[in-house]
Amino acid sequence: MQSKTSFFNMALFKKNISRTWIAGLLYFVLLLLMLPVYFVISTANINGDDWYSRLGYTMEMRLFEHMSTMPTTFITIIISIIVTGITFWYLFNRRDSYMMHSFPVTRRSLFFTGILSSLTVSLVPVILASVIMTIAAAARGCDGLSCIWYWALVVAVSTLLFTAVAIFSLMISGQIVTGIIFYFIFNFLYLMMDIAFRLTASILMWGLSEAMNGIQYRIWTPVLYIPNNAKVFSDVVMDDNYERVIEFKHSFTGGHVLAIYAAAALVIIIVSYQLYRFKKLETVLDFIAVPFMKPVFSVGMSFFISMVAGAFISGMVEALTSLTYDMKYGIAIVSALILGAIIYFATQMLIEKTLRVFCAKKAFACAVYSLAALGVLLCMRLDVLGIENRVPALKDIQWAGIDNNYTMVFTDEMDIEAFRQIHQNFLTDKKELRNINYNYPDVDGKTFSIRYKLKNGKIVIRSYPVINTEASVVTPEYLAATQPILDFVNNPGRIKEHIIGNIWNDCEIKTMDFATLVDVPENNDYYFEYNEFDELSTKEKKAKYKRVYEAFLKDIEAGKVFQQDFAGYDYKYDENNKVRLYNSFDFIVRNPDVVYFSDSETFYDNAYSGQTIMHEQSIYAELTVDCTNTLKALKDEGFYTDEDDIITYDEFSKKYENYGYDSEAIDPEAIDAERAEYIFEDPDGDLDPLEAIMN
Amino acid sequence: MIQVNNVTKKFGDFIALDDLNMHVEKGAIYGLVGPNGAGKSTIIRHLCGVYKQDAGQVLIDGQPVYENQAIKSRYAVIPDDIFFFTQANTLDMMKFYKNMYPNFDEALFKKIMDCFPAINPKKMVRSLSKGMQKQVAFMLSIAARPELMILDEPVDGLDPVMRRQIWSLIMSDVAENGLTVLVSSHNLRELEDVCDHVGIMNNGKILIERSLDELQTSITKIQIAFEGEMPKLPDDITVLKKITNGRVHTLIVKGEPRAAEQAIGQMNPLLMDVLPLTLEEIFIYELGGENYAVKDIIF
Repeated sequence: MQSKTSFFNMALFKKNISRTWIAGLLYFVLLLLMLPVYFVISTANINGDDWYSRLGYTMEMRLFEHMSTMPTTFITIIISIIVTGITFWYLFNRRDSYMMHSFPVTRRSLFFTGILSSLTVSLVPVILASVIMTIAAAARGCDGLSCIWYWALVVAVSTLLFTAVAIFSLMISGQIVTGIIFYFIFNFLYLMMDIAFRLTASILMWGLSEAMNGIQYRIWTPVLYIPNNAKVFSDVVMDDNYERVIEFKHSFTGGHVLAIYAAAALVIIIVSYQLYRFKKLETVLDFIAVPFMKPVFSVGMSFFISMVAGAFISGMVEALTSLTYDMKYGIAIVSALILGAIIYFATQMLIEKTLRVFCAKKAFACAVYSLAALGVLLCMRLDVLGIENRVPALKDIQWAGIDNNYTMVFTDEMDIEAFRQIHQNFLTDKKELRNINYNYPDVDGKTFSIRYKLKNGKIVIRSYPVINTEASVVTPEYLAATQPILDFVNNPGRIKEHIIGNIWNDCEIKTMDFATLVDVPENNDYYFEYNEFDELSTKEKKAKYKRVYEAFLKDIEAGKVFQQDFAGYDYKYDENNKVRLYNSFDFIVRNPDVVYFSDSETFYDNAYSGQTIMHEQSIYAELTVDCTNTLKALKDEGFYTDEDDIITYDEFSKKYENYGYDSEAIDPEAIDAERAEYIFEDPDGDLDPLEAIMN
Repeated sequence: MIQVNNVTKKFGDFIALDDLNMHVEKGAIYGLVGPNGAGKSTIIRHLCGVYKQDAGQVLIDGQPVYENQAIKSRYAVIPDDIFFFTQANTLDMMKFYKNMYPNFDEALFKKIMDCFPAINPKKMVRSLSKGMQKQVAFMLSIAARPELMILDEPVDGLDPVMRRQIWSLIMSDVAENGLTVLVSSHNLRELEDVCDHVGIMNNGKILIERSLDELQTSITKIQIAFEGEMPKLPDDITVLKKITNGRVHTLIVKGEPRAAEQAIGQMNPLLMDVLPLTLEEIFIYELGGENYAVKDIIF
């Protein structure tokens, strides 16, 4: 009997299922292995005496941990396009397409029956695997079985969304391969556009060379957004010694995200249906089957590829020779326009399946596009959006940070405002500053970074190339723009607060090490020695460490340690080596009652900052001969006894350069002479061991 | 049954159908002939509801065809390149057709199957030869009990015995049930045997659309010989082609054959034979007037 409803046709449904069930079966087997089989195996030997049980793990925790690590979108993005592609395969073959549309069935039936059968094949395995997983978990005595079904819900919504995107992609193309390519383009479109703009900005715009670091997965890229924002969350918190579970946090996150995606999927399905309704079947095998998508594709591809390629070309030229900011932009713009025109006509050839695409109409379209591309690049050059000049408002900033020789993050409002002002002044002189590579090609320098974490969760990242402020050629204007930054970070109070840390003034020194070198001339060797003070009690040791620490703070006050500059690594290398001590010095500051605020973790690892609770921190300091307070305290407290124990890098290299660790110090002639002697002494000994091996 | 009114279809800049008109009476067997690229398959795809015309109307029983499930369930289509589902055997396809066509007659299908003993119904249709696939398509289409069959090169690839068998099945359906058939083919001799109406297409237009009898009597071949030179023919005789071989002249005359015969008879020829033209000859002579390239090759 023919189905009564025109949305669904049972005969088509059965036929679709008969062609896709094998994909569904393989999917089911995969899920079966990942969910119940793996869980049952991993919990097979629990007897109350296994490692997890001793830690205090319950079966519920193990179930949540298991389900929280199960993939969601990474499988569904693949299975959706496979099943939908097979179901709508007839659209990409003239014979199949003509015959299917000759049958007494409407496009509405073909479309919705196709969607329904695709979803059936994609979702039934998920449901079955979840049922079996529920039974397996219940049999293991797990509580919290609902996490299995929340995972299933996330997978189901992902499947619905990706199926919708798949059908949309297939509707706009006349070729299955192109349809699949479009599918992945659409799924990653926002991210790709983001990367293209950031990449271009990182090469062309001043201060944005780290723009690629600011990429965050947005809602427009569900394949990456869903795993982070809609999931079974599980966090088993251990004690400080990782010996006992002290807390089990678990929840189901992102319900609203799933609702948004489900609604979006329905909208995409409706749009896709409209495309199918009006799809001209003579476009089968066309690269793009929908007229309005042809210019979008052509211009989109030309614009993004040429923009990025143009920026790369200017970057490459800059790597070969010094360029002014304007020269760099000029090269980028010219390259982008030439490449854009080439790509534009290449895409036209793809779309129209002919090489004869050069005509006045297309040349005009290309000229319009080129003007638009030129406009965008000029907007970047003129900083129309104010990106280069942007310094966030104080009220929007959660913290501000700088990374140069050391990393500092300011959370105090006064510090943030002072830092903002310095940054603002720095930007005022950008005309002078952004051409330093061209104006001072022979002056060494480095790049420092600035980050603002905003209260809305966004991060503003800037990085600026700078040159050594001590160089003789540096202008007073340049010095006026850059020196305040160094003065700000070299302030002793900030050094203590941000390099030692927030507990610097209220801490115990848990350990302290000062290395002295012990020479072993008979072996041409040396080793480091540390005074452990084993004869002292812990309290006595800590008191000793504290006294050295106090002296160390005095050296900080005196500006002898943790000083930052904009000089390159090689600047005054030999002179510095004469004062830098080879003896290593480090200690651990600790306060069990105060959470340690790590500036570097906050600055770089925003996703996890605040999740790791620390009460202590290791501090490594490079001492110089000028750190008189610390050195004296170290000697007074017995970390070293003889002045000869103090050795600079320069002294070290002179003293130990012949100890065989420096390959440049090995004389090849001496080795040959030694080998000749070996052979001479043992004429029957044939070859030496090395040559024997080589032969 | 079929009305195609002023239909135009463009593929880009190419005009595939140019203000085309075509009419097929109920119960007729209509042969659609034309050179390659004339637009035969394009108009058939419009009739099947695959293509949508840019302008004009495509009606079956007075109703538009495009996206009209009710109308489409009343006719069956056998395209030149037949589609069967992957992995499906004849019985699977029968079940599919049964679900698709409300009038599908399973008993009739089984009866027809007996006429095609070489086909193993449990064998995958796509693994059968092209001729056998055609046979399966006919079995399914006839069993669907359609009111109209649209056939595009239907017996291409079939052996002579099977061709006759298929045509006999169709003819009996026409006779018993008033089936209407629209058939497009290059095999004009075969169409001549089965069609009662013919439409000749070229460049996206129907040039001629008449009953076969009418068509065959509208063009005549007259062979004549005179003692001396052939006298001038009367102005009311339209000669499409004239070939002279010695004293024998062969004339292809357009118009009423009896009138031409009478007029030429009055010129006292030594010899005069009036011969009917085959459909193939009519096709060639008609299209010759349309500057069809075959003209120069034949003569």
